[in-house]
Amino acid sequence: MSVQDFALASEAAARRRWGATAALAALVVLLALISLGIGPVRLSPLTVTEALFGGATDVAQVIVREIRLPRTILAFAIGGILGLSGAALQGLLRNPLASPSLFGAPQSAAFGAVLVISLGLADVRSYALPVVAIIAAFGSVFALLAIAGRNAGLLILILAGLAISSFAGAATALVMNLSSNPFVVLEIAFWLLGSLEDRSFQHVALALPFIVAGAMILLSQASAFRALTLGEEAAQSLGVDVGRLRLLVITGVALGVGGAVAVTGTIGFIGLVAPHLMRPVIGHDPARLLVPSALAGSALLLAADIAVRIIPSTSDIKVGVLTSIIGVPFFLYLIMRERRALGGGVA
Amino acid sequence: MNVCSDQLVLSLADPDQILGLSRFSRDAWQSWAADKARNYPRLSGEAEDVLVLKPDIVVVSLFDKRATRELLKANGLHLVEFTVPRTLDEVKAQIREMGDVVQHPDRAASVIARLDAAIARARAAASGRHYRALPLERRGFVSGEASLVNSLLREVGLTNAAGELGIGAGGFASLEAIVKLRPDFILVAEAGDRAEDDGRAFLLHPALQRFYPPDKRIVLPERLTVCGGVMLADALDKLTAELQRVTR
Repeated sequence: MSVQDFALASEAAARRRWGATAALAALVVLLALISLGIGPVRLSPLTVTEALFGGATDVAQVIVREIRLPRTILAFAIGGILGLSGAALQGLLRNPLASPSLFGAPQSAAFGAVLVISLGLADVRSYALPVVAIIAAFGSVFALLAIAGRNAGLLILILAGLAISSFAGAATALVMNLSSNPFVVLEIAFWLLGSLEDRSFQHVALALPFIVAGAMILLSQASAFRALTLGEEAAQSLGVDVGRLRLLVITGVALGVGGAVAVTGTIGFIGLVAPHLMRPVIGHDPARLLVPSALAGSALLLAADIAVRIIPSTSDIKVGVLTSIIGVPFFLYLIMRERRALGGGVA
Repeated sequence: MNVCSDQLVLSLADPDQILGLSRFSRDAWQSWAADKARNYPRLSGEAEDVLVLKPDIVVVSLFDKRATRELLKANGLHLVEFTVPRTLDEVKAQIREMGDVVQHPDRAASVIARLDAAIARARAAASGRHYRALPLERRGFVSGEASLVNSLLREVGLTNAAGELGIGAGGFASLEAIVKLRPDFILVAEAGDRAEDDGRAFLLHPALQRFYPPDKRIVLPERLTVCGGVMLADALDKLTAELQRVTR
């Protein structure tokens, strides 16, 4: 292949990447609009648009601006940060099975939040909730990477992740039993399933700053992920401080996931699925994968949240349940595909 | 054995007739007679401690655990079962029945007279205008047609808006549907704006706060409405007072 051919090929690849990213962004916008248009009260698209910009009746305005808009914003932001966290962890560990939910981060964040709720330490709409959730998420990811060590194989990571999420689950159940609030068991059982229902701008204000901070930290490390694909030593020789990178990624993931979990409960598997959907289109460069994965995460969560409102059911389906129902078979499929690598890890 | 039968027993029996009360008897949130209940042993809700006490009569609700009830019966205890009342007439019948059980029908009659007086007061104060109110609990649960709350609302001249939401006996209403329905008032169990969990945060959602600030919220504590008994007289008086506050 001549230099010219190579240049042409990479130009074509770049075009495809931009095309895919733009298409994805358009999809996210479309889904966000649908999400604003759907709810238990039927409003025409025209009414929704008017209400959004301050027209229509005050009832329609409240429904669209104070009930649906926060929900849509949260689905967009949380889906995005989950996709981004997944892509970042996969880049950091050079491992396609890495994702926040397999590492027990949301479960641990949930434990932190449940601790605050069930002990009645603070109003559920105060900043205590995300802060404690973030600390718990940070602790869990940090512990996982410390236990698994630097060049951990898939198997060790997954086993350690399983152990941490089971531990967080058990701790959550224990805290629930110690609570004095008689409704707490039911409340938390619902909450752990993950839901975006009836959230308000108070919740947006609670989660968004942390999600944005987490996203900025993760995005700023894009070039380091790329260097890391050459191996840790090569990356180090290119001037990447791997220890610092790890710490930054853990912080970014903890901020994002903790902030998200604090307002919606645990929503799993978006971080695992989103980067995989993008890899065939974008290629394997972890730096280029970050933004498309975030967009794919947003699209997935928006779509899932629309689906739970459309699927007819007697009581509301929780969006976290839906993402797990889709995510777990996907995870099993990935394990099947990676079976050889996993088997090799044991031998 | 049950927080509702506790309160009936407490209001009608002599102190030495009561061997023990239910697990939740001292919960001031649920029980109107929580203070009084502190003078009596609290049972675990299981069969063991009841068997040890060897009571002549065990008052249970049909909502208590079936296995526990069966076990007590099998051990030769005399069980009196009460259902959950849904109308004021059913409440009065239960008070009468409990009066017979504890052998103080005279006290039962005076309690019923107190209740009747409260009903008469409520009806007299009921306004001519037919306001629509929605009894709203945590997570958006709405009590419908067949509930005590519904009977109370009717006595003070309010219409339960649950029917317009298509809710029969009781069920969950979405925030959007409530905002669209715009009942005149919502009936809640407590004022205040602290959300100790998500269920409570529902009632404090900005969309709901906008249309239902405190002067559109009728506050009726849960301990006055969960059970049937004397406390319903207080509930009616409180409801009348609240209605006067919000319609002023």
